[in-house]
Amino acid sequence: MFLRMIWGALFRQKSKMLMIAFTIALGVSLSTSMLNTMLGVGDKVNQELKAYGANINVVPKEASFLDDIYGVSDQEEKGQNYLNEDELGNIKTIFWAFNIVDFTPYFYAKVKVNDDSKDTRLVGTWFAHHMELQTGEILDTGMIKLKSWWEIEGEWVNDDDDDMIMAGSVFAARNNLKVGDSVELSTPNLKKTVKIKGIFNSGSDEDQYIYSSLKLAQDLEGKKNVVNRIEVSALTTPDNELARRAAQNPLSLTLKEQEVWYCTAYVSSICYQIQEVITDSVAKPIRQVAESEGDILNKTTLLMVLITILSLAGSALGISNLVTAGVMERRMEIGLQKAVGASNTKVIFTILTEIVITGIIGGFVGYFAGIGFTQIIGYRVFGSAIPPAPMVIPIVAVLVFLVTILGSIPAIRYLVNLNPTEVLHGR
Amino acid sequence: MDILTLKNVSKIYGELKALDNINLKVEKGEWLAIMGPSGSGKTTMMNIIGCMDKPSLGEVILDGTDISKVSQKDLTIIRRDKIGLVFQQFHLVNYLTALENVMMSQYYHSMPDEEEAMEALEAVGLKDRAKHLPNQLSGGEQQRVCIARALINHPALLLADEPTGNLDEKNEYVVMDIFEKLHNAGSTIIVVTHDPEVGDEAERMVTLEHGRIAGEEKKKRQRPVIKDGDDKFKGFV
Amino acid sequence: MKKRSMYWRMVTASLARRRSRMITALLAIAMGATILSGLVTIYYDIPRQLGKEFRSYGANMIVIPTDSEHKITDEQFEEIKAGIPDGKLVGLAPYIYQNAKINEQPYIVAGTDLEGARKNSPYWLIHGEWPSQPRQVLLGNEIAKAIDLKPGEKFTLSTPKNKNESTQTDFIVAGTVTTGGKEEELIFMSLEDIKSIIGDKGLDVVEASVEAEQAELSQIVENLKQKDAALTPQMVKRVTASQDVVLTKLQSLVWIVTVIVLGIMMICVSTTMMAVVTERRKEIGLKKALGASNESVVSDFLGEGMMLGFAGGLLGSGMGYFFALQVGMSVFARRIHFLPAMIPVTVIVSIIITMIACSIPVSKTVDIEPALVLRGE
Repeated sequence: MFLRMIWGALFRQKSKMLMIAFTIALGVSLSTSMLNTMLGVGDKVNQELKAYGANINVVPKEASFLDDIYGVSDQEEKGQNYLNEDELGNIKTIFWAFNIVDFTPYFYAKVKVNDDSKDTRLVGTWFAHHMELQTGEILDTGMIKLKSWWEIEGEWVNDDDDDMIMAGSVFAARNNLKVGDSVELSTPNLKKTVKIKGIFNSGSDEDQYIYSSLKLAQDLEGKKNVVNRIEVSALTTPDNELARRAAQNPLSLTLKEQEVWYCTAYVSSICYQIQEVITDSVAKPIRQVAESEGDILNKTTLLMVLITILSLAGSALGISNLVTAGVMERRMEIGLQKAVGASNTKVIFTILTEIVITGIIGGFVGYFAGIGFTQIIGYRVFGSAIPPAPMVIPIVAVLVFLVTILGSIPAIRYLVNLNPTEVLHGR
Repeated sequence: MDILTLKNVSKIYGELKALDNINLKVEKGEWLAIMGPSGSGKTTMMNIIGCMDKPSLGEVILDGTDISKVSQKDLTIIRRDKIGLVFQQFHLVNYLTALENVMMSQYYHSMPDEEEAMEALEAVGLKDRAKHLPNQLSGGEQQRVCIARALINHPALLLADEPTGNLDEKNEYVVMDIFEKLHNAGSTIIVVTHDPEVGDEAERMVTLEHGRIAGEEKKKRQRPVIKDGDDKFKGFV
Repeated sequence: MKKRSMYWRMVTASLARRRSRMITALLAIAMGATILSGLVTIYYDIPRQLGKEFRSYGANMIVIPTDSEHKITDEQFEEIKAGIPDGKLVGLAPYIYQNAKINEQPYIVAGTDLEGARKNSPYWLIHGEWPSQPRQVLLGNEIAKAIDLKPGEKFTLSTPKNKNESTQTDFIVAGTVTTGGKEEELIFMSLEDIKSIIGDKGLDVVEASVEAEQAELSQIVENLKQKDAALTPQMVKRVTASQDVVLTKLQSLVWIVTVIVLGIMMICVSTTMMAVVTERRKEIGLKKALGASNESVVSDFLGEGMMLGFAGGLLGSGMGYFFALQVGMSVFARRIHFLPAMIPVTVIVSIIITMIACSIPVSKTVDIEPALVLRGE
């Protein structure tokens, strides 16, 4: 009989229950999409922040890279240390290989352009290098992805072009060069005439240099299979206390902490892992990028958490309001049940069961609608899907359960105190 | 002069004939009771007389207008101008005071007039309860507010549906006393009821059975006529 | 008594005397309005708030002399300073570079306004302290490692004076700096210190961190270029271009979240209002039985809806501002800009939504025969 009453309530007063189910579905879809977005937003924003370029710098031990960037060092090259080009692919084999977004090697050559008396820096690098790793993975990486902010006039150089270069805007202006011009590069080892395929504006010191394929730069210096530096762009987790301690000295951690640290994508643990696979290397986080990424990531996530809390509160209120209204509306029927001898517990139990069943149906529909909303957000903003997080399901389920039950409390209190005769006499 | 004439009125719901060829005349100032058991067609008849429904067949002429032909909108206007309704369930708006409930009726009719509304409440003996909300009033008091509300727009016809159905004996007497006084003041009253005691108070009693008029009875008044206080209602006839 | 005053008397009585039901409805509307005004305020304030966060990426504008043989003079430095709008400047640091030697090893000294450098580069990790006294330096971490110097220790710096002579000066290491970049191989000291050693030769470069989007910054750059052809201001593209990309994404994230949350909240408010109105079918029947026209029944409810929407909107815009303020404080640690226009917008949107939500169930019920409603129970 209990079941028949429930059945009757659910299906014979369809419109009311449908309305409650609808509101629950809306609330659930809102909570689901907000929670999913909140949990997924970190990864997405992290991806976006890759626009800032590399956040890890890998150099040979004992190497100075001041000269690389500033060009003002008077240090002479004597027994310069190099990294092994063959080992580059290893970067994609570390524990956090999946988090390595892009990387590119640099090889520096000093060349004379035409008959200039001064040396100019020629940087050999990858532009869009295609790699097939031992793991079978295919990887395309290089400057084009890493330096998204460069403005190019003309075209990027290809990795197999050995008679093409790109010139920095400052260098080009100083020497009055245009796209398509030919220049002669000379080193003590070699003389070569190359064409300028593109001129770039990077808004930094790089504008004074010329860029070429790695092979060309190595040939000019008469070196093989070596690079000076590697820039790596990796998705990282914002640093916490553990990461800071580990960054100072990984050996100071307990075994357990070490494990946690190693298995979390902190920039310091990724650096550590890169050092493990590249012989005689030092990997350093570029704090300008790594630190700021963490900042912005934390802020964005916190922002989403607050927005999520607000929308959860909103949907909770909406649901509980409607549940209250729905129960109140039925006081006549409940008065009758009480008049024919139903106990309070029985009446309450019946009502709660109805509402919970409605809630489950509404919640089920709402959950999938919410996943849909999440994907709309994902595609609209980031151009890719936000994976639904399984932990959202229990959170939302508990939420709906609590909210519907809490929403019924005022109505139930009213019903318990209800005098059946009053209702039935229309007061 | 007839205030209400029903000519061959039938109301058909699908297969069911709720009213079957009814003919009835009500004179101005008459007090008529429509009696009958459940399912006899009382409610349908009351809805038609009260301009809340239209007959399937036949003519209903209320105060010179054939209401069976007018539009739903005009029917509302006729109801507003000609009919005063009293319900078994009172149907007061629970967030308005007694006075405001009466004024609401004025508002939908023409112009709210607080003094006139107060007079109507005074007539039913509720002057000092005017500022109370319905749930602060007893059943009898609520029904008296209802009557005041029905009278306020000077209806051609006062239509009461089981006016004492929810009242105890003492309040029943008070309400019937008001009807009595109204009758004496010249109001036309139609009471729909299944209670013979209430029906007996009327001048004329029509009994419905299976949608037809099964009997009609004219009678002398049994109770002594109370004269004092009647003049209070004069203004509302 | 006027007809209109009775109308308002009825409307206000309905709101005031059916308190608990109305509070329910009011709460729903206020919640919706809170979300509307809160999220929109945040949406508009995000570029400003996050813009500041993005300054942790360091300088986004550098100025170098147009002719590499020349230096930037103090007058030109003032010019640059004046060229940046007041509230927008986060940090400004002039640099003088000088070759120097410690223990016969060559290094580079960077003389700068240490306070400006500190504001420009919040990402610098300092061990020890920032120099506060004359003759104190901040040592790049690589140098510190190479010559084994710790904060508090003393060293001698030799700088070239004439062809073959050099000046010897004693310094104390106040702290070491780690950045993962070129800074680790520089020795930072105050402008006063470096000038006292090598004399005032002018500045090599000026770095500025300006709170501005790319378009605004390029305007500043253009203006500076116009004013003084001897200066070449440049945007640090890596910082400015990327900031625009990321900021646009974040703003569009908040935008679409706002739209979805609002859409759903509107429906929630509507269903609540519908439930509240549907409850009063009997009242509608009664009013019709008393001779009220459809229009006047609808207008009664719309009046209530309007007042509810007004009150809810007002309450909500207050709560929304409070929410935005909380977000500003806890996320960005600064006050959020108050948008006065949000109050009328929120109130009007609330009124419209509430009225629509009321009119749907009312107009559905209003055509019903009053007899059907009044009978029944």
